[in-house]
Formats: sequence, C-alpha cells, structure tokens
Amino acid sequence: MAKVVSIKRTLWDALYLPSIIKGLGITLRHFFVNTFTSREIETLRYGEWDLPDYKDNPAKPEGWRGKKKTRDLPDRHRGLHRLMKRPDGSARCTACMMCATVCPANCIHIEAGEREDATSRDIEKYPATFVIDELVCVVCGLCVEACPCDALRMDSQQMMKPVAHRDDAVQQKDQLMSRGATSIAVDGGAGADWRNEYARLGDARQIYRPDRSFSDDPIGYRIRNTDSK
Amino acid sequence: MTMKAQPSKAQPSETQPELVEIAVDGETFSVPKGKNLLEALLDVGEDVSYFCYHPRLSIVAKCRQCLVGLGDGHKLVPACQMTVQEGMKVRSKTEQVREARQAILEFTLLNHPLDCVICDKAGECTLQRQYMDWDGEASLVNHDKVSKPKKVDLGPDIVLDAERCILCDRCVRFMAEVAKAPQLLFAKRGDHTEVSCAPGEQLDHPYALNVADICPVGALTDKSFRFQSRVWDLWSTRTVCQGCAAGCDMELHHKDGDVYRQVPPKRWDLNLNWMCNDGRRTYRQLLEKERVTHPSLGGERTDPDTATTHIAEALQGLIGAEGSPIGVVLGADVSNEDAYAGARIAQVLGARLYLGDRPDDGKGDDILRLNDPNPNRAGVRAMANKDLLNTKALAEALNDGALKALLVVGDGLDLPAPAQRKLNALDLVVLSTPFSSALIKKASVVLPAAAWTEIDGTCTNAAGEVKRMRPAFEPPSHARPHWDWLVRLGVALDADLGFLDAEGAFSEMSANIETFAGASWGDTIPTQRLRFSGRRG
Repeated sequence: MAKVVSIKRTLWDALYLPSIIKGLGITLRHFFVNTFTSREIETLRYGEWDLPDYKDNPAKPEGWRGKKKTRDLPDRHRGLHRLMKRPDGSARCTACMMCATVCPANCIHIEAGEREDATSRDIEKYPATFVIDELVCVVCGLCVEACPCDALRMDSQQMMKPVAHRDDAVQQKDQLMSRGATSIAVDGGAGADWRNEYARLGDARQIYRPDRSFSDDPIGYRIRNTDSK
Repeated sequence: MTMKAQPSKAQPSETQPELVEIAVDGETFSVPKGKNLLEALLDVGEDVSYFCYHPRLSIVAKCRQCLVGLGDGHKLVPACQMTVQEGMKVRSKTEQVREARQAILEFTLLNHPLDCVICDKAGECTLQRQYMDWDGEASLVNHDKVSKPKKVDLGPDIVLDAERCILCDRCVRFMAEVAKAPQLLFAKRGDHTEVSCAPGEQLDHPYALNVADICPVGALTDKSFRFQSRVWDLWSTRTVCQGCAAGCDMELHHKDGDVYRQVPPKRWDLNLNWMCNDGRRTYRQLLEKERVTHPSLGGERTDPDTATTHIAEALQGLIGAEGSPIGVVLGADVSNEDAYAGARIAQVLGARLYLGDRPDDGKGDDILRLNDPNPNRAGVRAMANKDLLNTKALAEALNDGALKALLVVGDGLDLPAPAQRKLNALDLVVLSTPFSSALIKKASVVLPAAAWTEIDGTCTNAAGEVKRMRPAFEPPSHARPHWDWLVRLGVALDADLGFLDAEGAFSEMSANIETFAGASWGDTIPTQRLRFSGRRG
C-alpha cells in the first residue's frame, strides 16, 4: 500500500507571491551578473559542430565572447540525409519507396526511372529524382530503418544549416549523393552464401555501425563486433 | 426492358444444387455437392493457399499449394482437383498440412529472385502474402539461383520478368481458354522453364492485359504501370468503365489526381473478373483531351451565373413558339441523372429531344466488349423512348432551319461536318461538356462539365443494368455535373426541376420513368487507400 505523506502548507506558502519574487530574483541576479561581468560562459552553438575550421582554429570568431566548446556528435546522431553509392558511383537506391511510405511527415518524394543499359545482373530501377524537404522532415530516422538497400542514411554528422529561403532546404538527389560514401553491403542481407558469410563474421549479431575514426575509408562504415566493445 | 438493381451478368442461372455435409477439421459444413473442394473451403472461410487455381480457368493442380488431407489417408491431395462428396472429412489445419504447404512454398521460392524491392506486384502479390502466412523463413539453399532474363518484351502491353515466374500456368491457360488465342507457352525444361511467346508471335490480344492481373507474382506486368507507383500508395475508387456500352465494373487506381491504372474489381462474380485492354486505357482520354474548366460566353470567359442568365434570356422568346424551335441533345456519354435533368429541361422548354451518339466502332467481341462505344445509350434512350430523335434527324432539322436554339449536353454528339456548319445560323448553341471538341467553336455558351471520373451517379449498360459510378476526383475549377448546370438553368428560367443533388435526381427519375422502377442507387463505396484496404494478392 502506498505511503501517504501529508504536506502542511503554511500561510507563507499560501501567499504565493513571495516565492515568485524569490524566483524572479534568481533570474535577475543571473541576468545582471552575466551582463556586467566578463565571465567566459561555455556555449554550444547550433550547427557549428562540423565546420572544419572550428575545431582546428583556436582564434575566436568576431564578436565571440564565450569560451568555445566543441563536442563530437554521437555515433547515431541523425543529421542531414545522404544517399549511398555503389562502387561504380551510382546511387544504391532502387526507388522502392519504403522510405517514402514509412515517412510520417511525407517529406520524401521519389520518381522511379528505368535504366535502359541494365544487364541481367543490374537492378533496372533507379530514382530519377530523389527529393527530401529537410524542413518538413521530423528527423525520426524511420526512413533509414526502412531502407532495405543501405541506400539512405542520416549519419552524415552534419546538421541542417539555417536557410534564407524555404526552397534551399529541399535537398535534391545530387546534394544527397554529394555526402554519400560507397557502401558494399549486400542487398537483402548476406545473400545466397549467408551461412558462410555468418561463419566468417563469427557472430550473427554483428552489426554495421559508423566509425568516424575511419573517415578516410571510402566505405565509411566498418564492421564492429558489439561483444568485443 | 426492365432495369434491374445491379445484378451480375456473370452469374449462371441458379438451380438449387444438392447440399451435402462435409467435415473440415471436425467442423461440419453444408456445401453444394460436386463443387470444387478448394472453392468450398474458401467459401466456408478456411484459409487455403493457392497459386494456379482460378475460378474462371481450368484446373491443372500445378502449384501443389492447396494440399489438404482427406479422410484417414496419409497422402495429401490438392484441394483444387477434388470435388465435394457426401461425408468428406478434410484436414486443413493439421501440422502435417502446414508443414507440407511450407515445404511446397520453399520449393516455389527456390529460384524466385525475391526482388520485391523493385517489383511492381509487391503489395498485391500472392506469393508475398503466402510467404508471410505459411513460411516466413530464410531459404536453406546455398547455391545460386537460376538466372533468367529480367526484361522480356512480350508485346505492346506486357513485359515479362522470367526470374519471378513460378510457372503456375495461369497466363497460358487464360490465353488458350478465355482469349482463345494461345500466344503464350512454356519453353525449355526443368528449372529453366520460361513463359514465352510462340515463335513469330507476340502477346497483342485485346485482352492480354488480364494476364498481368491474374499473375500471382510480378512476372507479367503492365508496361504503362511499370515503375510508376507502388501499389500501396494508390487510392481505389469503384466505378464503371465508360469505354463501351457493356459498362464493366472496375476499380480506378489513382494518386494525387492522376489515374495510374484501371483494373477489374477482385470480385469473381463481376464482369467475369476480366477487362479489355481498351477499357483499361480509357483514362488516357483524360490526359489527351483538353478539359473545359470555365464557362464562356461567345469565346470570352465568364462566371456561371452570367452564363445561365444569358441562356435563359435568349431562350425566353423561343419557349412555346410554333414548331418547337429549341432542340436538346442528350449525349450518350452522360449519366442517367444528367440525362433526366436534360429531359426535364426539354419538358420545360417544350423542346425536341435528340440523342447524341457515336456510331458502332466494330471492336466488339464475344468476351465483354460491345460494338457500341456509347457508355449510357440505354439510360439516355429510357428518358424519352420513341420521342428521342437520332443524330440524323438533328442534321435534317438543322438543314431545314427548323431549329433556332440548341442545347447540347455531353461530349457524345458526333455531328457530320455539313450539319456542324449550319450551327452558325442558330441564335443560341449551348454546349455543356467536359472536353474541348470541334463543336466548341460553334457554341455561343460553353459550360464546363465534370468528366466521368468526377461523377457521382448511375449509368445503364446495354444489358439494362443500372450501375453506380463513384467520383475519384473533384471537378476542376468551375466544372460541375451536367445536371447541376441544368438545375441552375432551371432556376434562371423560374422552373423548379425538383432535385438538388444526384441522388435526388435518381429517386425522382426512378419514380417518374417506368423503366427505372425498382432500380437502386447502389452502395456507397468510399475511395480507399489500397494500403489500408485489407490484404491483396
């Protein structure tokens, strides 16, 4: 049985206003202290985590008063979308519309095309247009989970930049592909040779995870065993 | 001719069959004797999987997916090949049956490429559904699958992906038995077997597109639908084909205001479950023809009220004049309600009624298609019967100068060129049409009408069945149904037509016109998204 605690309210509490004034006082104290003293305040500014000259250049930008603070984005941070590439440089996307179907914000618009030069081993369907409106996107990451081809990812480690015009936030296929790396993941899982493939990997629980220490690696991902970590 | 309340043409004459009792997993059901066992099991709600069986095709028992146990026998038999007998004991839910179906399915999937990702059938694929129902496990085969051509051009409408084919034989049987043009056959042997056209042949039969519908996988697909949209993104509206006078039931599949395809409803009792290629392509006229979206007066855009007031004023002096100088043309492409409203206006104006129809196109066959390309000739005819004059009479009246004003309802009028030139001499030519045509230049007032995809109403096919059309889209801009324009015209003429919506027009029509007595307005089937319309396949 739940324990019943009775709180006695004094007249001082019931008056209500003194507590408000007390709280307002704290706010005002911080306001004046921060305004009139030159204390260096740690500030994390939105959208500047990934500027290349930000981490390396110790000089403060003009008008900067606070102490600069940088922090790496977490591995599974959901940033701007990117379209992964096949080794031949084309998009891995097959325009299956899984992402557009699962998207709760309806921000993905794909028009499928057919590759006329496709050989029997090629996938003949490709996205003629692939558009994501990043302002409509709710950054839920369901599109990445739905993608059966490892074609769409949000691990670009880039945040959405502020834009002057709404249209600038609509990412076209070439913009999405400019952030993409080559992926050699096997379509539809490990393929026909999945038993040998799993034996080689050692553990079926092995998963693909981004590893930014391998940023020079064109693959962009390396296989890491979750157990050994 | 009596109008019936949406009966089905395909229904065979019903003689009460003898009922026998069969036991399915211990439960007793009464089913007609001699009925196909698979059909009987599906009728009583048993979930039996199958690929090759089709109620309109012969039985081949090729896929072995409908295995059931009979009596105490250990060996399983395909249900589609058995007929119902008295006292039959069927095992359909036992572990043995489940395992057998799972094993058969694994065998069916042996060489299937599983490229659902790019397959147009995904979402309404029988194989996909059966896999989810009965198997759901990864293939145990280590070897590479047999690779076959991915894109075989079979004809003007159909493309074949030979890898996806599970050799169920449905398409081959359809072409041989229904189309009576055996253009498809199996080539090669063993697991290299492929569907292909006979040498020197191509799949160009006017019913060839049905093979894309009955294909239980994505092997045969419609070229015009290829890669256009995923099935589950489409919205489905049940309406009636306007390609010819047969008036087949169909589903209009559309998205964002565009029609993607027209398919027969997945109902085996409606138009034999088939549709002709021409009927499936009638949506193209929406793209090819130019729409009329605004009312116009002497070629200048105007607003609806000005247009109807102008017509009323111009007609005022002619009403009741000697020799009835007003003519009303009812196009054979308008709905029953539009035609009724036109007939009522003609009554108010004391006008002569003409039927605007197109001549037979000679494309009829003995499956579904009729020679008459006018979708609602029977319905419009019923409005005036013997008083309805034909296009020839209209041309004669124009030549004689007997007409001073003409009201054309619908896009169905096919007037010969000399008679069209006589239209210039008339005081008033009103054209209520969804599409721009040659007549539009002769019309002094043009009223934009709703096209057949935007109509809520009924039409009557050649067999006298009254069928309900349902709207998929909103009419563009100022376009509205013909009856709406005619009601407005009635208001401008101080005449009350007695109805303000399509259903009102229908109920008044069925009360006033004998041939429509007993016809029903039809069920309301809302437009629904295929994604949420239950399992397909």
